[in-house]
Amino acid sequence: MNPPRITLKDISREDLPRVADLWAAYFRAMPEICTERPRLITEYSLAHDLFRKTRISILDKARLYRHVLENRTAIVRHTHGREKGMTLFELNDRSLFAGSTTSKFKGVLLYPEFVALTLWPELWTLSTRAANPYYIADQDVKGLNEKIFPPWMENTIMELTRKRCYQDNREKYGPQYAPEMKLLERIVFFLASKPACISHTIPDFSKAIHLGLRHLINEANDKKRQNSNESKKEFYEAISEVLEGIITYSKRLSAKAKKMADRERDGDLKQELLSLAEIYAWVPESPARTFREGLTTLWICWTAILLENANLGLSLGRLDQVLFKLYRDDMEAKRLTIEQALELICCLWLKIGDHVPAVPETSEQLFGGSGSNQAITIGGIDQDGEDAVNDLTYIMLRATELLMLRDPNLNARYYPGKNSKDYLRRLCEVNIRTGATPAIHNDPAVIKALRKKDETITIEQARDYGIIGCVEPGSSGRSYGHPGAILFNLTSVLELTLYNGRHRHTGRDLLISKETGDPSTFKSFDDFRKAFEEQARWLVDQATTLNNLFGKVHQDFYPTPILSAFFEGPMDSGKDLIQGGAVLNSSGAAIIGLADVADSMSAIEKLIYDENSIPFPKLLGALQEDFKGYEALHKRLMNPDKTPKYGNDDPMAEANAIWIIEMLDRLFSEKENYRGGRYRVGYWTMTNHAGFGRLTKALPSGRKAEENFASGITPVSGVTPCLLETLNSVAKLPVECLSNGIALNIKFTPDARMLEYFVPYVEGYFDSAAGTRDGGMEIQFNIRNHQDFLDAFANPDKNPGLLVRVSGYTAYFKDLNPQMQIEIINRTEYLLSTGKAVDFPPIPLPKKT
Amino acid sequence: MRSKFKRTILGSISHLLTDSIGNFLTRFFSKRLEKELLGELTDECLELLLEGMELAFCLSKGYRRNIKEFKGAYLLKTGDHLVVTSIVFDRGKMTVYEDAIADWDIRVTIKDVQAFWKFVFSRDYDILNLVLANEIEIDGNLNYIYKFGFLARDLAHRLGL
Repeated sequence: MNPPRITLKDISREDLPRVADLWAAYFRAMPEICTERPRLITEYSLAHDLFRKTRISILDKARLYRHVLENRTAIVRHTHGREKGMTLFELNDRSLFAGSTTSKFKGVLLYPEFVALTLWPELWTLSTRAANPYYIADQDVKGLNEKIFPPWMENTIMELTRKRCYQDNREKYGPQYAPEMKLLERIVFFLASKPACISHTIPDFSKAIHLGLRHLINEANDKKRQNSNESKKEFYEAISEVLEGIITYSKRLSAKAKKMADRERDGDLKQELLSLAEIYAWVPESPARTFREGLTTLWICWTAILLENANLGLSLGRLDQVLFKLYRDDMEAKRLTIEQALELICCLWLKIGDHVPAVPETSEQLFGGSGSNQAITIGGIDQDGEDAVNDLTYIMLRATELLMLRDPNLNARYYPGKNSKDYLRRLCEVNIRTGATPAIHNDPAVIKALRKKDETITIEQARDYGIIGCVEPGSSGRSYGHPGAILFNLTSVLELTLYNGRHRHTGRDLLISKETGDPSTFKSFDDFRKAFEEQARWLVDQATTLNNLFGKVHQDFYPTPILSAFFEGPMDSGKDLIQGGAVLNSSGAAIIGLADVADSMSAIEKLIYDENSIPFPKLLGALQEDFKGYEALHKRLMNPDKTPKYGNDDPMAEANAIWIIEMLDRLFSEKENYRGGRYRVGYWTMTNHAGFGRLTKALPSGRKAEENFASGITPVSGVTPCLLETLNSVAKLPVECLSNGIALNIKFTPDARMLEYFVPYVEGYFDSAAGTRDGGMEIQFNIRNHQDFLDAFANPDKNPGLLVRVSGYTAYFKDLNPQMQIEIINRTEYLLSTGKAVDFPPIPLPKKT
Repeated sequence: MRSKFKRTILGSISHLLTDSIGNFLTRFFSKRLEKELLGELTDECLELLLEGMELAFCLSKGYRRNIKEFKGAYLLKTGDHLVVTSIVFDRGKMTVYEDAIADWDIRVTIKDVQAFWKFVFSRDYDILNLVLANEIEIDGNLNYIYKFGFLARDLAHRLGL
């Protein structure tokens, strides 16, 4: 299909005044804490004695959510936002969609069930904190402190799990100790996401859009009548409850729009409100008849899903596929113009970005600047293997180009040979114009990775993958696999190996894992690798055991009727998603520090075992001193001509990277999750490579203490001078071991002719070289002048909309913590016309306060 | 505690005070705590904080509301047991003991009292660094430390700091 003839020259933001107004307000507004959800949830839980229950049923939860949906504020138009300095400003909100995830224009969603209580100490200072402040009204501070937070003190997922862990370990360790929990709280080993959310995943909106919620309710009611199993009957009743709640919410929005229309004197505004009233009265209860109605169903269901599931990485899937039929029918019937379609998508994009996650100040250091990571996937092939790129794909690209929002996080699929080169060229062009989006995924490699990892997935299901959160692939609407369940710090495995089961942060006297021997006594590199694998096995065991414990607590206390209603599998099996009701089940680990560990392994192999040029104790001494007094050794370690570095097409470096990747995949694959699925491994790091880096001492690779790790699967910055070699190194990695997604971060110096080089580089990276390699799975970019970054670093508020690619998601540069900003500035930057790295002096890390 | 008498006297008239007068009096009688909050960190910081909290519970209805329904037991100790303090909140009352209670909800093991102070009041990286440097170790339900963090910072807020 030919791309429609719309370019930036044809339609600018200013040509879409309602979009321009909302966009300006979006960047003007600071996030505001919204206490409506936690208040309604808490009041209902108290009134219905849910805090005393030892198990909460799916029907309990469904009634709770119905209560919230029936009582939350129905907002048709936002009238005010809150700007920096905390003053109110008036909004001209003429969005084509009503309803919102919070009662604020840009709201912070609070989930006391998960981690909202971590904000408790800073309630009085949230509005003025240096990193990403949130406005909170005094009465909301009092409400949270006195009414909302107290009942949750014993009832958060974290503390319910801790209680269970303590009980399980009571005989061995006494009343209040659990080793896995302790390890998590030591921070440097791994992080677990389950205390903060149920899952990242992609719901299935197609039935809701094309059949309507009433159809799903009837189906659930029929199944309930036909079923004799009590738990299944309860499940179907729960589905009906939540869907009725969503319909009620929509009808309330409709009634409010009608009431506002009755009062409105301006003819155009009156008509807009009447349209909203009509649409929200019809959908989502009934099948969408138009493109706009389809988008409305999607939006209302999305707000309901976010009511139940924390806004961390929940993703919308392949919207250009799900909505295309409605779009095409409208276009053929001449009910819709391209401009109107673009305006609708822009309004939806802005709605999707109407909330941010609640992050305490300390966590800002590890995760700062993240949005809700709501990924949308476009392009690629369809379930039959045919080109799926359509007009809507291009319209969504255009909306992204016009708005440059961090949320939604646009991900483009590309199937070489099936999708046109024009399409790839357009993806590159949008990256140049936005500087950071979309990420591009290589269909053949991703589909192969998914199929090799899970023998139950069909080829059609694999072809229908969408991107979750940052870069994680999963079959859309049917694969329930929390891909970010574990954030695994690989450098801690190295640390435990180097120090015989101890970690420098927790003290050289404290045995953390198991003793695998003093590395100075190892006879060969193989001995070192065996010890490393032993330590990795131990840490994988700890992390997966704890994740499964969290999962079991979710099963007992956090059933998910809303998400289950929009998923393939639960309606057939009569089983909640978190009980394993989805068609496909898995969990995921994201590995942090791959390149730093691979380079460290290569340094050890080459210098200690191959050349015998330094003894192990000397290397350990250098690490202890952070290379002070060992400058010559440091220089040698940092020189890619003398010490192998992953990313330079070097056989030793690549063998070490592949050995680590295969070993971790094997160790995680051996583990079963709490839903009967397997663990998958990926290499994307969000901002954790900066956060963990700051917490980690010197490494054998030559990396000094507190320096950032390399991001995602990207080689270490500053040691890979040739772009082609870097891309080749990553393209050779075995994709079946990377099925949880990768983030390859590449930075380009902008130049006028870069597009002509850009496309061939991406094609070359994706190429399987006649089957001799898998080809790279994913690639993402930062394309900005070095000076722009330096200016933004010096004056963060000067360019508040400066969009950057972190490691997975997109973020506004100003929202990142200084450590992460420096990581992006110091990334290896290539000039496409030469394919060589541009030499910029690295800027030093900020001093600790 | 040194200010027990003061608290008893002032506590008996607290029902006559508005919240802002209660806060004013708390500030008036907490000059040394104020200095600690402004950065003069001494070995007495923990004692002064706890005294300030007790005083504020006596004088300020608003501050008292923080613990109206709250039950929680905290054990604070240094690794060498030179400092051991237990704090028990029980439905509107705060009691401080200078020995260890057995039945705690949260146990905080600290390198020194300044580390605890930094943990409660500092922002930014300090909290992570304290945990990583083993200057502070927490066992038990973390929500109790968040609650305590609010109590301490709410006191500072009421003192206008």
